[in-house]
This record gives sequence, C-alpha cells and structure tokens, in this order.
Amino acid sequence: MSEQAERSTKHTGFDPAGIRSQFAILNRDIAWLDNAATTQRPEPVLVAMNEFSRRHNANTRRSVHQLGAEATAAYEGARAIVAGFVGASAPEEIVWSSGTTAGINLVASGLARWEIGPGDEVWVSTMDHHSNWVPWQQIAHKMGAKLKIIPLTEEGGLDLQAFRNGLKARRTKWVALPWVSNVLGRVNEVREVCDAAHEAGARVLVDGAQGVAHLPVDVAALGCDFFAFSGHKMYGPMGIGALWGRRELMEQMEPLIFGGEMIARVDEQTSTWAEVPYRFEGGTPNVAGAVGLGAAIQWVQSLPASAHAYVADLTKQAVEGLSVIRGVQVWGPPAERTSLVSFSVKGVHAHDVAQVLDGRAVAVRAGHMCAQPLMRALGIDSAVRASFAPYNTQDEVSRLLEGVLAAQELFT
Amino acid sequence: MSTLYPAALLAHAKNPYGSNVIEQGKEDGEALNTGCGDEIRVVLSWTADGCLEHMTYELHGCAVSMAAASMVAKRLEGKNRTEIAAMASAFATRLGRTGFEEEWGDFQAFNGIERYPARIHCAMLVWQAINQVLSKPKKA
Repeated sequence: MSEQAERSTKHTGFDPAGIRSQFAILNRDIAWLDNAATTQRPEPVLVAMNEFSRRHNANTRRSVHQLGAEATAAYEGARAIVAGFVGASAPEEIVWSSGTTAGINLVASGLARWEIGPGDEVWVSTMDHHSNWVPWQQIAHKMGAKLKIIPLTEEGGLDLQAFRNGLKARRTKWVALPWVSNVLGRVNEVREVCDAAHEAGARVLVDGAQGVAHLPVDVAALGCDFFAFSGHKMYGPMGIGALWGRRELMEQMEPLIFGGEMIARVDEQTSTWAEVPYRFEGGTPNVAGAVGLGAAIQWVQSLPASAHAYVADLTKQAVEGLSVIRGVQVWGPPAERTSLVSFSVKGVHAHDVAQVLDGRAVAVRAGHMCAQPLMRALGIDSAVRASFAPYNTQDEVSRLLEGVLAAQELFT
Repeated sequence: MSTLYPAALLAHAKNPYGSNVIEQGKEDGEALNTGCGDEIRVVLSWTADGCLEHMTYELHGCAVSMAAASMVAKRLEGKNRTEIAAMASAFATRLGRTGFEEEWGDFQAFNGIERYPARIHCAMLVWQAINQVLSKPKKA
C-alpha cells in the first residue's frame, strides 16, 4: 500500500487489507470502483451459498424429507435476518424478490394500480432510477392518473417545498423516491417526504438499493410503507432481493406470479392464496440466493463503524481530487453524499473516460446510469461514476484521478 | 488500451467531417444507442442523378461513434443508394469480425475493436441511422 493509503488508514482507523483478503476476485488486477452497480462478494457469502448447494439443496416448505426441512430452515432463517436488518416487526413482512426492480413492480402492479384511478396523481422524484420510474409511469398511464415529479433544487437536492405544494389530499395516491440517488449519491429526506405524503393520504415506496450497504436501515424511522432493495449491491448475489411492506398493506396486495407455492387451495375454477408473504413467492424460489443475501447482511453488520467512515473518506478524496481538475464537473451536492461520485469531463464522452480508465484497470460506470430524466435535468447525456466499498484503497482513488487526466490528454 | 483509439480515429473524433451541419427538409434518419443513450440524426442530400451529395449529422456520442460518422460521411459522398447499402453490409461484416482491409483506409482504425465488444454498437450507430433513411420510401 502506498504511503498515502496508509495515512488514510490511520485517519479513519480502518485497514482495508483485512477485508480485501476476503474477496478472491480482488486478486485480479482491477480497481473495482463500480460498487454502486454491483459489489463483489466476500468469502463468507460464497461459502454460505456453496454450503447450501453441497449439503442442504431441496425445495422449501412442501418437502417432508430431511433436506427439505434444512432448506426451509435456511430460507426462512435468511428471511429473519433480512427482517432484523431492516427493522421489520416480523419476518412475514419480508417478501423475497429477484431484486429491487421486481419488488417495486410487485407493489406498483399488485397494490398501487388498484388504488389509482383517473384524475389521481402519482409522484416520483427527478433522481429516481428507471426501476423506480417506469413502473409508476406505466401504472399511472394505464389507470388514467397523472405522473408528477419532485423537481431538483438549484443545489441538486429534492425540492420538498414544490412537493408539499403539489400534494393533493385524496388525489395524490402514491409517492416513490430513492433513499440514496444512484447518480448524485445524495441521501434524500425520506422521512420528510413520507410524513408529507401520509398527511395527504398517500403511500410511499422507497428504493433502498443504494443505501443498504452504507447506512443503517430502519424502515420505521424512514417512515415509508414499502422498502425495496437488492442483494448484489450489498455484497450478496445477483438475482435476489427483498421487499419490506407494512403488514396491513401486504394483505391488500394482489399476487402477480401465480402457480405453485403461492396457493392455499386450488379448485377447478377458483383458487385461494397462501398467507403473506408466501402468496407473492410463486414458483420454486432462489433459496441459495436468499442464503447468500442473509450471509451478506451478516457480513455488512459485522463491519466496524470505521469501515463506513473510511468509505466516506475515500469518496471525499475522490470528490476533492476530481473537483480541482480543470474541465471536470462533479455532479450533486458535496454534503450528505454516500459512497459515490458522478462527474463529467469537458470535451470527453463518459464512455471514453471509462474506456481509458479500463485500460488502466480501473472499473467505473459510464452512461446515463438508468437515470435519463435526471441526466436531462442536469443538462447532460451521460456521466462517469466512481463508487466505493471498504475494500477500495486510496491508491485506487489516485489511479482514478490519474486516469481522468490521461483521458483528458488523449481526447483534448 | 491504445488500440481502441489509434491516431486516425482520434483525428476524426476531434475534427469530425460533416458534423452539425444539419440541413432541413432532406431525407433524415435517427438512431439511438440504448446502452448509453447516445443519439445521432443524419441527413442525406442527393444529386439529381441519385448520388449522395453529402451527409451531415448531429451526434451526441463518444469518440468511437463520432469517428465512425466522420469516416462514413467522407466515404459515402458520390455513391448511389445501392452502393451505400452494399457498403453498410460490408462495414458490418468487417467491424469486430474480419477487420478492414487496406483499401478501407482510415476504417482500419477500427481493427481491434473486437477486444471491446461493448463499443461495437458505437461504431454501428451511424449506419443504423443511414439504414433508416434508406429504408424509407424515396422522396419525389
């Protein structure tokens, strides 16, 4: 590690080397700064998933045999871990999903669409990811409702005043927003939005995907009605995620996936549904994925507070380093930023910046980052994003900054 | 790394031929790179005898898509629709596959792009827009 990196370690009291060794993939010569897209998986997650496949693989719930009992225990045990992680009152408030997108779609199509009618209003925010925009856009249009958008303030935050002024009692039915913006890294005022929305009689879904790896989760403190997140952005596997919802609202929600595992009784012409949350989990579930997400949550919970301070410090160094490069524009407010920074380099397309960085074994995101409405609000087509995890080093931040300079030199 | 951005490609990308001189009322076509959101609109104007007088375009895109548009705009001048369609398919079979032979000149800058499969779309963007123009019914 460089001298600089050691200084950074001393600064936060956290040594990334200790956890870096748990990530086999980091033995490759890659500075992985695309953590907001997908984090890498530590050994305990890989071992837990492997162990499930090697020792306990079976269908859950319906099996009488020993392996079935073990698989059910693993699956439901992981559900309990998720429930504890988000601060749910009971494991039954957790629905397994394939990820944040699937969780949001379940709420939008399974519940919201039955509550929205012509003349009603649904809100999203300018900084929502397409996964928390398109489902609401489509439901609003199908049901003859209006899609309204929380605008940005000049500083790049959510314009809560405009939102409060625009709320209409009995007309505003649903509000969707991201806890943390995947482009700006900004932590949004979820509690304020929830309180205002509830006062108007609306319900709120929070896209938690970018927050769960970095911030303590407490759905009661956030004040939302639904909270969706993914495993692969918090050191867990792809293809698994979870949705938390208020029990009474989950009871009103319609299943979208019909078939095995989700029924109570099937007659020729009619069926009744299993209890919440099982009625939303039709088909054979991704049990190994659930086990992996459970292990990932335990891994995140085992991180010391200094690990989060360290990530914040790396992010700050990146923001400061980029800000002083002439021709580089850093997007988003400097304060209340989590673990990522998006930026543009004047005269150089984001993909070209990312390509030059890739040539130097630094992996970053480039493009519209599934947030085209936000890109338009910022007046750009695309941006470059570097995002950090506790296994990153100050040396990697330096490589990022050097790569940006190299891209400038090549193209301008 | 340097193989994606050889000097010939950078020269076109920095000083693109035919860029941003969109003429209204001519045949035009658009294409969108769904992976990154890059967009191009091309306008083709024809001579009385059906040859391409010139191609102009408005492009929000990366160096690869810009260089491709620039090289193509230069290369297509004077060609008729049949020749342009033939060149479109000749380009597609070479890009990221067999590579461009010497007679393709600057296009050889794309040889090696197969190592960057995510960027092949970028070089194809201009052709998608051109193909859209060619597939429209011919204006009287």
